[in-house]
Amino acid sequence: MIDPAALIREARTRAGLRQSELAARAGTSQSAIARIERAHASPTVATLERLLAAAGCVLTVALDPVVPPDPVVAAYKRDVDVSLIRANLARSVDERLAVLEQGANELEALATAVRARRPGPR
Amino acid sequence: MQLARLLSALADAHVGVILIGGVAARAHGASRFTQDIDFAYARDDANLDRLATALAPAAPYLRGAPPGLPFEWSAATLRRGLNFTLTTAWGDVDLFGEIPGGGGYEELLPHSEEVTAFGRPVRLLSLDWLIHVKRAAGRPKDLEVLAELEVIREERHG
Repeated sequence: MIDPAALIREARTRAGLRQSELAARAGTSQSAIARIERAHASPTVATLERLLAAAGCVLTVALDPVVPPDPVVAAYKRDVDVSLIRANLARSVDERLAVLEQGANELEALATAVRARRPGPR
Repeated sequence: MQLARLLSALADAHVGVILIGGVAARAHGASRFTQDIDFAYARDDANLDRLATALAPAAPYLRGAPPGLPFEWSAATLRRGLNFTLTTAWGDVDLFGEIPGGGGYEELLPHSEEVTAFGRPVRLLSLDWLIHVKRAAGRPKDLEVLAELEVIREERHG
């Protein structure tokens, strides 16, 4: 599956370009690049090729057979809380990892507090 | 867990690693909690030296092993092994020389992407490839993660 956001970000990073620099090369705006990289906009294949070319890359596409859906995974998907996923996707990568770090440390503090309240061996 | 400190230490030392596993899934938008921080790492001599030096301040030790074993954290130790499950002052760290269905660092590199985290460049396995290696692993515990990753991909693509 083509992920334009990841492709553009990767090509731009490899070329050592800021969003504004890639935009200037491709004749578009920095905000347009930002929207694509945040997956808030979906470019046409022609636009994607143009942006990648501006970063010195060529888009190649391969055909692979469709992987049949796993019935167990499909069943689990019905239980996934999409609202949590959407909230995460609205955050930057930085924010997502900071939330993970904070949550891990809060859980560790809780576990330490629970251990401290347990009666010791008699 | 001191994720920021760990990722900064690795980035500042230019260690060739790719974030995989649960933390990579979180970076892609997953909500599932994870405690260990998994990396695929490059096995060339120079990178093993950089990796050993970068993690040394966190005093890595074999996770779950009794204290006092003659374990020395060094590039030589990394050279002698392949996959390491470690406890460190910065959190539980798993280092993989190879992963099922994905191969080693060099094979995973084209399927990774660079993002910025905590102000540093961090390389993580792409969402598509994360799904690929989870499918290849095929462990029961991976199926729930796989479901969440597939939902993220669907949400991204609308």
